[in-house]
Amino acid sequence: MTTNSLMLRPRQKLFKIIFAWLALTPLFIFGISFQLIPMFTLLKSSLITKSGLTFEYFAKAFTPTILNSFGNSLKLSTTTAFLGVVLGSLVAMAIISSPKKVVRDALTALADVTTNFGGAPLAFAFIITLGSTGVITLILKAIGVNLYPEFRIYSITGLTIAYLYFQIPLMVLLIVPSLLGLKKEWWEAAINLGANTFKFWWHIGLPILGPSLMSSFLLLFANAFGAYATAWTLTGPDVNLVTVQIAALIRGEVQLQPELADALAVVSLLIMSFCVFGYIWLSSKANRGRA
Amino acid sequence: MRMNRFWRTTTIALFLAFMIIPVVATLAFSLSTRWDRSIFPEGMTTKWWQTVTERSAFKLTLKNSLVVSTVTALSLGVLVTPSVYWAHVRLPKSKSVFELMSAFSFGIPGVVLALSLLRFYSKVPIPLVNTPNILVAAFMVLCFPFMYRPVANALDSIDVKVLTEAAQSLGCGWWNTLFRVIIPNIMPGVISGCLLVFSTVFSEFTLTNLLVGSRFKTFPIYLVEFTRFDGRQASALAVISFVVAWVTSLLIIWIAGRRGKLLGGPVGGH
Repeated sequence: MTTNSLMLRPRQKLFKIIFAWLALTPLFIFGISFQLIPMFTLLKSSLITKSGLTFEYFAKAFTPTILNSFGNSLKLSTTTAFLGVVLGSLVAMAIISSPKKVVRDALTALADVTTNFGGAPLAFAFIITLGSTGVITLILKAIGVNLYPEFRIYSITGLTIAYLYFQIPLMVLLIVPSLLGLKKEWWEAAINLGANTFKFWWHIGLPILGPSLMSSFLLLFANAFGAYATAWTLTGPDVNLVTVQIAALIRGEVQLQPELADALAVVSLLIMSFCVFGYIWLSSKANRGRA
Repeated sequence: MRMNRFWRTTTIALFLAFMIIPVVATLAFSLSTRWDRSIFPEGMTTKWWQTVTERSAFKLTLKNSLVVSTVTALSLGVLVTPSVYWAHVRLPKSKSVFELMSAFSFGIPGVVLALSLLRFYSKVPIPLVNTPNILVAAFMVLCFPFMYRPVANALDSIDVKVLTEAAQSLGCGWWNTLFRVIIPNIMPGVISGCLLVFSTVFSEFTLTNLLVGSRFKTFPIYLVEFTRFDGRQASALAVISFVVAWVTSLLIIWIAGRRGKLLGGPVGGH
């Protein structure tokens, strides 16, 4: 009897665990059918032909146009992520230095609202503001500053400005908690020991914020790299980006084998995974430091 | 470490200008008779608003967007809430599955998600491709973290285990516990998640454009068509999009503020 019940117990426990996982079936069906399988289809068709494993599609996909699109996407993502990190941190410092709680809350709320903007309406708002007959363009013209023709909103510079509209608020939201973690006493101690502002940041502030800043950079980079709607509305096919190329292949605007689009998609997924996993790793490091 | 008054005011002023001018300019442009030659609008009118809102396509696309946003928000709520609750009480190990699914949703660019769904489902005999159904599925993938995060945060902020045990010792079954005890306690999280999903889907362009194209026109698709054809009417549509985004975000902030803490910042959909 005793042995029997002892034998049953682990089995019951196993059933209980299996039952617990079975309760998540709807979630797994969703994840497997709309995330896993479609992605494996992409991977498979980009890597496997009738004759076996191949990198042929990757080799073929990298025409000068495609290489150029990767160059542009990397440049745009790096620039907007870098500017986003720097400007967003400055804004975040200004926000947390503000003595009034109302101001701090209102500005954080503004960042929260605006970081969700993007896509078509944002692009269009920038055409109205900085387009060739845009509001700001006209005002600057009246005071003797001619933006056009040197500057064009329908260009990679224009896209940089438009992307900053959602990158800066995102950075503000990401970095405020870390900035609040910098203790006032550290600053006072450093100043009492003879440090100046620069020395404080160089030796204390930046090393502590390092992981947060890097993880935010990766998140902003990924945010820009995957974006399509804003770029498409603002510049159409004029600015050659990876997402624009993939979209063109999907719509069949360019006559190529479908496997080439898959190869491009796989390469951009690799870049994105690097950013996302780097972000997760670094932000867990940053959180550990804070706790 | 603290900024002095001058730099603080300058930084905040520049930030506000950058964030607000494009929105205000769009609104003013939609109300101007003509504003492409002079510093100030040549006159004010509501003509563009009237013209654009009277079109049947306006009502249709607005309705389509409202329907697809609501359906996505509710479906994700129904799928995610019970699962996250279950994970919290019975299966803490499974939280990494949720994290991984969230990372996937954020990490996959919209164009790549569209491509992968088209590649697989165009070969399968399920009526998904070219219908609004595939759109809802894609939106659910896109918005998964927006639903998961607020619900998980809300569950973290209450003592789920104690509540569950208390309910069950009083004879409550799992579903009763979920609906009568847990959900009322995490309602702010569930509503924030739904609102976030709603506003993301309402302004979504990439997936809609690539998955269903012109077969099922949503509001953002209509807006982009207009930007190439009539700027003033397009600006009225852009203002409507901005208002929807602002109102839902402010509602979320208001709900979070009532609970005394801001929920995790959302990302994506550009």
